[in-house]
Amino acid sequence: MTATARPEKMAATRPTYADVTRDVVATLGNPSKAYYGLLAFVLVVLAIGVGALLYQIRIGLGVAGYTPPVMWGVYITTFVFWVGIAHSGTLISAILFLFRSTWRTAVYRTAEAMTVFAVMTAGLFPLIHVGRLWYAYWLIPYPNQRQLWVNFKSPLVWDLFAIGTYLTVSTLFLILGLVPDVAAIRDKATGWRKKLYTITALDWRGTDQQWRHYSRAYLYMAALATPLVLSVHSVVSWDFAVSIVPGWHATIFAPYFVAGAIYSGVALVITLLVPLRKVFRMERYITTDHFENLAKLLLFTGMIVTYAYVVEYFMAWYSGNQFERDAFWNRAFGDYWWATWTMIICNSFLPLFLWFKKIRRSIPALLLLSLFVNLGMWFERFVIIVVSLSHEYEPYAMGHYTPTWVEWAILAGSFAWFFTWFLLFAKNFPTVSIVEVKEVIPMPRRKMAH
Amino acid sequence: MAKQMDRRRFLKVVGVTGGGAAAAAACGPGDPTTLVPYLVPPENQIPGVATYYATTCRECPAGCGMHVRVREGRAVKVEGNPDSPINRGALCARGQASLQGLYNPDRVRGPMARNAAGQFEPIAWEDAYTRIVERMGAATGDQVAFLTGHASGTFDQLVDQWLAAVGSQTRFVYEPFAYEALREANRAVFGLDVVPEYQFATARYVLSFGTDFLETWLSPVQFAREFSSGHGIVDDQMGRYVHIEPRMSMTAFSADEWVSPNPGTEGVLALGIANVILADAPDNAPFDVFRVRPLLERHDPDMVAGVCGVPAETIRRLAAEFAAVPSLAIAGGVGAQHDQAHATAAAVNILNYVAGNVGNTVQFGPDAPATASSYQGLANLTQAMRDGRVSVLFMHGTNPAYNSPSGLGFVAALDQVGFKVSFSSVMDETSSHADLLLPDHDPLEQWNDFEPRAGAFLLQQPVMQPLHDTRQTGDVLLALARQIGGGTASRFTAQNYKEYLQDSWRTRQVQLGGQGSTFDDFWAASLQAGGVHQTPRPRTVRLDRGVGQLTFDVWQGGGAAGELTLVAYPSPVFYDGRAADRAWLQELPDPVTKITWSSWVEVSPETAEEYGIVDGDMVEITSADGSVTVPAYVYPGIRPGVVAMPIGQGHTELGRYAKDRGASVYDLLDSTPTAFGGLSHYCAVSIRHTGGHQVLASAAGMSRQMGRGIAQSTTIADVRNDEIQEFHAGHAAEIPEKIERVLDEWQEAQDRESAIGNYAGDHPRWGLAIDLTRCTGCSACVTACYAENNIPTVGEESVRRGREMAWIRIERYFEGGDGEEPLTVALLPMMCQQCGRAPCEPVCPVFAAYRTPDGLNAQVYNRCVGTRYCSNNCPYKVRYFNWFDHGNANDAAYAFPAPLHLQLNPDVTVRSKGVMEKCTFCVQRIRGKQNDAALEGRDVADGEIMMACQQSCPAQAITFGDLNDPSSAVSQSAAIARGYKVLDGLNTDPSVTYLMRVRNTVEG
Repeated sequence: MTATARPEKMAATRPTYADVTRDVVATLGNPSKAYYGLLAFVLVVLAIGVGALLYQIRIGLGVAGYTPPVMWGVYITTFVFWVGIAHSGTLISAILFLFRSTWRTAVYRTAEAMTVFAVMTAGLFPLIHVGRLWYAYWLIPYPNQRQLWVNFKSPLVWDLFAIGTYLTVSTLFLILGLVPDVAAIRDKATGWRKKLYTITALDWRGTDQQWRHYSRAYLYMAALATPLVLSVHSVVSWDFAVSIVPGWHATIFAPYFVAGAIYSGVALVITLLVPLRKVFRMERYITTDHFENLAKLLLFTGMIVTYAYVVEYFMAWYSGNQFERDAFWNRAFGDYWWATWTMIICNSFLPLFLWFKKIRRSIPALLLLSLFVNLGMWFERFVIIVVSLSHEYEPYAMGHYTPTWVEWAILAGSFAWFFTWFLLFAKNFPTVSIVEVKEVIPMPRRKMAH
Repeated sequence: MAKQMDRRRFLKVVGVTGGGAAAAAACGPGDPTTLVPYLVPPENQIPGVATYYATTCRECPAGCGMHVRVREGRAVKVEGNPDSPINRGALCARGQASLQGLYNPDRVRGPMARNAAGQFEPIAWEDAYTRIVERMGAATGDQVAFLTGHASGTFDQLVDQWLAAVGSQTRFVYEPFAYEALREANRAVFGLDVVPEYQFATARYVLSFGTDFLETWLSPVQFAREFSSGHGIVDDQMGRYVHIEPRMSMTAFSADEWVSPNPGTEGVLALGIANVILADAPDNAPFDVFRVRPLLERHDPDMVAGVCGVPAETIRRLAAEFAAVPSLAIAGGVGAQHDQAHATAAAVNILNYVAGNVGNTVQFGPDAPATASSYQGLANLTQAMRDGRVSVLFMHGTNPAYNSPSGLGFVAALDQVGFKVSFSSVMDETSSHADLLLPDHDPLEQWNDFEPRAGAFLLQQPVMQPLHDTRQTGDVLLALARQIGGGTASRFTAQNYKEYLQDSWRTRQVQLGGQGSTFDDFWAASLQAGGVHQTPRPRTVRLDRGVGQLTFDVWQGGGAAGELTLVAYPSPVFYDGRAADRAWLQELPDPVTKITWSSWVEVSPETAEEYGIVDGDMVEITSADGSVTVPAYVYPGIRPGVVAMPIGQGHTELGRYAKDRGASVYDLLDSTPTAFGGLSHYCAVSIRHTGGHQVLASAAGMSRQMGRGIAQSTTIADVRNDEIQEFHAGHAAEIPEKIERVLDEWQEAQDRESAIGNYAGDHPRWGLAIDLTRCTGCSACVTACYAENNIPTVGEESVRRGREMAWIRIERYFEGGDGEEPLTVALLPMMCQQCGRAPCEPVCPVFAAYRTPDGLNAQVYNRCVGTRYCSNNCPYKVRYFNWFDHGNANDAAYAFPAPLHLQLNPDVTVRSKGVMEKCTFCVQRIRGKQNDAALEGRDVADGEIMMACQQSCPAQAITFGDLNDPSSAVSQSAAIARGYKVLDGLNTDPSVTYLMRVRNTVEG
C-alpha cells in the first residue's frame, strides 16, 4: 500500500507537462460511434430497470422474489455491494493522499468518480426496497405537525445519515479535485461546455494564493473523508450486526465489511481502468506499476476478508450456540451452498494468484480476477443477507428465496445507471488528474546552452 | 372496501335488517324501496354496536350453535354459542368459514333456467313456478322424485309432506358421510339403526379404529372439547389415547400411541383385544356375553397378531390398559370405510360391550336417529333415473355429481331425467346439469330447524336480509303447492315456511312440556337460546341374538402385486368437498400436510423411495375405475404400501375458489355399493411417477424441530415426579447477572417510555397461556383469526412463496419415526409473542413498531414504511408483509371481491400494500371490553376479554388475561411447572407461555 512509484522506470517514457495537458484533454474530444453505441446500450438497460421499478411500485413488492422469512433480498445485497464499491475511491484519493503515495495520482480521479456514482447507485436501493417508497422520507427527522420523530435506535436511521454524509463529502471532494483541471480545459472549450467548465472551475486562475488555498482545502477534505472510509461501511454493517439474526449478530462485522468494501472497490477500479486506459490511450500515465500496486491492495484486503470468513466460521463453532452453528452449516452445505462456494472461491482462492508477480503485472489476468472479485463480493452480501435470513430460529418458518426477473432487471438497471454517469463523466471531465500527474513529473528545465 | 358499500346501499341494508330479523322473512326478497334514515334509529341498531343472533351451523350435520355478530345490518363474524351443549362456544374452521358461504362471490343470485342453447339465463320466480307446475302436470305420481341431503327436522317433514301432496313417495337422501358401516354394525350387534352418543369426557382411555373424531366424525367440536378434558391431567393421572389406522390422521396427532395394522384388519384387532379382556376378567362382562364368547375365543392374540401385523404383546397390553379405566373404543370413520368396515364397527361394538362401556361411554338414547341416507340409496336413484322412472327430479342440499364415484354414472343418468330442479345456492357440479336453478337462501339467511340427535332441537334464524334474489326452498315448495292448487294446496295451511316452522314448533312445545308459557314466549326463548336441548335418558341395550353368527372378514382389495392401497379420507378442512369454495379454507393449511389450495397424495418414505418420488413429483394414480394425477407428499405417518388422498378438491364447478383445483379422489373409488350400503373409501391402485413436478404450496418450512425445543413435550411420569426437563434453546448456562441487569434496564426503559403522559399508571400486561396437551391442530383458531382481523387470502402462488398472512399458524413438527423412536407429532400454535423485550421494536426507523403501556407490541400500519427489518429481527417470524394490494378493490390481488367485502370487520383496518402486519392480541376486542367496563365504572373482569382464536378453540387450549394480576386464569396457567417460553434463550420475554404437551407414554 505504501509502495512508491518508480520514477526511474517512468523516465523511459516520461511525458512533459504539455504532453499531459494534451493527452488528457484529447480524451474529451468528439466521442466515437462506439461511445454512442455504448451509451445507448446502457440507457436501454437503464430504461428496462426503471420500467421494472415502476411495475414493482404499481403492483407491489410481491413481484420481486421475496419469500418470507427472507425479507431482504437482491436489493439490499446490491445496496451493500454498491456502498462497498464506493469505498476504494475515498481510500485511494484521501488516505493514500495523506500517506503521500504518489502512485495514486494517475488513478484517483477514476476511483473518486466511481465512488460518487456508486453512492448514487447505492442510495437508490433502500428506496427500491421499501414497501412504501412514497413514504420513504419519513426516515428523515424533520419537524412536522404530527409530532412524529424517527427512532434513532434503528440502524436504518444511522444508515441514512452515513450514506448522506458520504455522498456529500465524496461529491465535494471530487469537485474540489477537478477545479484546476477543469480550469485548464475551460480555456480550450467552446459552446455549452465552456459554460459548464466556467461554472465548475469556480473562477480558477491558478494564482499562487489560489494554489495555496486549494492545497489546504484539499488536505482538509482528505482528512475529513478519511474517517468516513471506516465509518460508513461500519454503520452499514451494523444494519446486520445490531440484529439478532444468526449469521448477522457478530462483532467482527464492522472491520469485516470495511475490508470487504475496499476489496470490492479496488476490484471495480481495476475493472474500470483497464478499458479506460486502452480507449483513452493512457498507457503512459496509468502504467503497469499502477496496476501492480492496485493488485497488491487487492491481495491485502482479500486476505483480510478471507481471515474474516475463517473467524466467522470459527466463532460460530466456538460460541457453542446452536443457531449460529446451524446457520453456518447451512451456508456451506444447505440449499445455498453454491452461493457460498462462489463467494469463497472468488474472494479467497482466486486472488491467491496475485502472490505471483507475473499475474500482478498482467493486465488481462488482473481484469479477469477483478471481475471474479466483483462477482464474489456481490455473492458475499447475498450469502450474508439472504442465506442467514432463510435459516433463522423457527424451523417451521424457514424458506427459500429465488429472485425474479424484476430484481434482475433492477440490478442490471443499477449497473446501467452507474455506467451512464461514468460514461458521461469520462467524456466531459478528465479521468486522469492533469494537476496531480504533473506534480509527479520532474519540473521542466530550460535546456542548457553550450 | 367502503367503495363497494356506498351510503345508499348501506342505509338500505341497515334499514331493512334494522326492522328486526323477525320481519325479514315476511319482507320477502328484493331490494326494499323505502330508505330508513338514522333520524329515526331502528330498534336494536346502534351504529358501531354489534347485535348478536343465535342460530345453528349447517356446515356439517353436527349442529353446533352459533352466535352471529351483526354490525350495521351485515354479518361480520360467527362465534360459537356458549349455551349450546354441543359446541359450548367453540367453532371449527368450517363453521367460521360459513360466512364466506354467505358472502361467496359465486353464489347464484337469482332463479335461472336452461335455455335452448343449453346456457343458464335468469328468469322470474313466478315463471319458474309455472314451468315446474307444467312439468309436474305431465309426470305421474312416483315419477316426481326428491333428493335431499341429510335434513332432519321440519324441512325434512315438509319435503315428505309435499311429496305426498303431489302423489309421490320417491324420496332419496344422500349425505356423503352417512356412516352406513356404523349403523349397520349397530343394527347387527345391538339391533338398533342409530348412531349412539359417545362420552369422551368420561373416557380415560380411547381406542380409535381409524375414526377421525377430531376432524369430521359426527360432532368434532364437541368431541374435541370432551376429549381434551377426558384425556387431560387430573390428580397427576392422565387419560390415554391410542389410534389404530394405517395412516396417522390429524386426530392421531393427539394420540399417545399410533398403531398401524395391515389395512383392513382393524376389526380382527378389536376382537383380539376383546378376547384378552374377556379371558382376563370373565366375571366383569355383562351376562349375555356368552353370545360372542365362541367368536372371541377364535381370536386369540397370536392368531390376531398374524393377521394384523401387530405384535401379540401389544394386543395384550392394549387390552389390559383398556380394561383398567373407563374406556371407549370407536370405529366407523369415513376414512376407514372399506368394504368390511361394518365388521370393524361390529367388532368394536363387541369390544365396548365386553369392556362394559355400552351404557356408560357409549350411550344409546341421546343418539342420532336413523336416516334414510345411504350410498345405496343414491345408487338406487341412479338406476331409477337410468331406467326412465324419474321424470321430474328436485335436488336440495346435496351434490352427488361430485360426491359419487365417476363409475356410478350419476351425471349420465341425470341427463335421462326430463326435468331437473336444483335448489343449490351455488353452482355446483350437480346443479350445472339441472334445467332449473332455484337458489335457496344461505343457512344464515334462513328460518329453519335441525335435529342432530334425539333431544336437540336447534333453530336457525336469518341474521340479515338476503343478499340476492334467492328464496328459501320451504317457501318455494309451499308456493308451488298453492300454484298446483286443489288437494295439494289444501294440505298446507301455512302461508310461508316460517309459519310452517312455527306450526311445527307449536307441536314441539306441547311435546317438550312447555305449555306453561305462550307460544310467543316459548318461540322467543328458543330463538334466543338457539334451540332447545334435552338429555334423553340412556337406554339399556343388549347384544342381538344373531351376533354370534357374524363373520369378520378383513379387507382383501389390495392384494395384487405392484398394487398399493389407496385410502380416501375426509378432509378436515373441506369436509366432503362442499366447503372448497371458501378462500379461507383453501388457504388454511391442511392440519397434516400443511398444503394449501391443491390436492396431493400421501406416500410413505419407503414407498416414495421405491418409486423414486420426492415431494411435489407428479404421480399418476390408477385404479380399476379411473386415474388422477396429483403431486406427491412424502409423509412419514403412513404405512408403506398405503397411499392416501383427501376428499374435497377437484371440483369442476363450485365457483372461482374451488373450480379446476387439484383432483377428486372420487374418480378412483369403486362405485359398487358395499354390503352395508356404503361407499368403499379404500381401493387398490397402482402409481406411476409421470416425470412432472410442481412445488407444493405448503405453509411449512422444516418439518423437524432441529433440536430447538420449539414445541416441547414431557411425559406424565415426569409431571407426576416433578421432573419436567425444560429445554432452553440457544443457551445452556445461566444468564450472567450483569446481562440480566442490562436486559431489565432496557425493559424498564421501554415501559417508562410507553407509560408517560396520559398513559401513566398501572396497566395490565396481556398474555396468553396455551396448553399444548389440549391443542389438536384443528386450525379453527386460524380461520377465526382470518374472520376477525380481515386477513386477506393470498392465493396458491403466493403461498408457494411463503407469503400467507395467517397471524396465527399451527406449526407441525415430526419427531422420531426413524426406526428407534416411534413417530410422534408436535404441534404449536404460533402467533406474535408480544415480547417484553421485543427485537422488532428498536429496529423500526419510524416507530411503527412500538410498545403500548399494556404490554402489546403495537404495529402502526399508517406509519409503516415497509423496511421489513422488524420481520428479519423477529425470531418467531410472526410478522406478515403486504406484498400486494390485497385490500384494494381495484387491484388484481384484491382478496375480498364483492360481496365478500361485506364480511370485513369494521373494527379492524384493512391493510394496504407495502405495510407490515401481525397479531394484535385482538386489540379491538380488548379496547371494546375496556370501553364497556369504563362506561359501567368497573374494572375488566378476568376472562371477559376473549381473543378470536381462544373463543374458537374447541379444545379450550388457549387462556387469555392479565399477567400482572397473579390471580388471573392466565397467570395461574403460566405458572404451571410445564410452562415454557419459546426460544427463551434469546431473552425476549414473551407474553405467551406454552404448557408442554404431556404424553401418556408406556412406562418401562
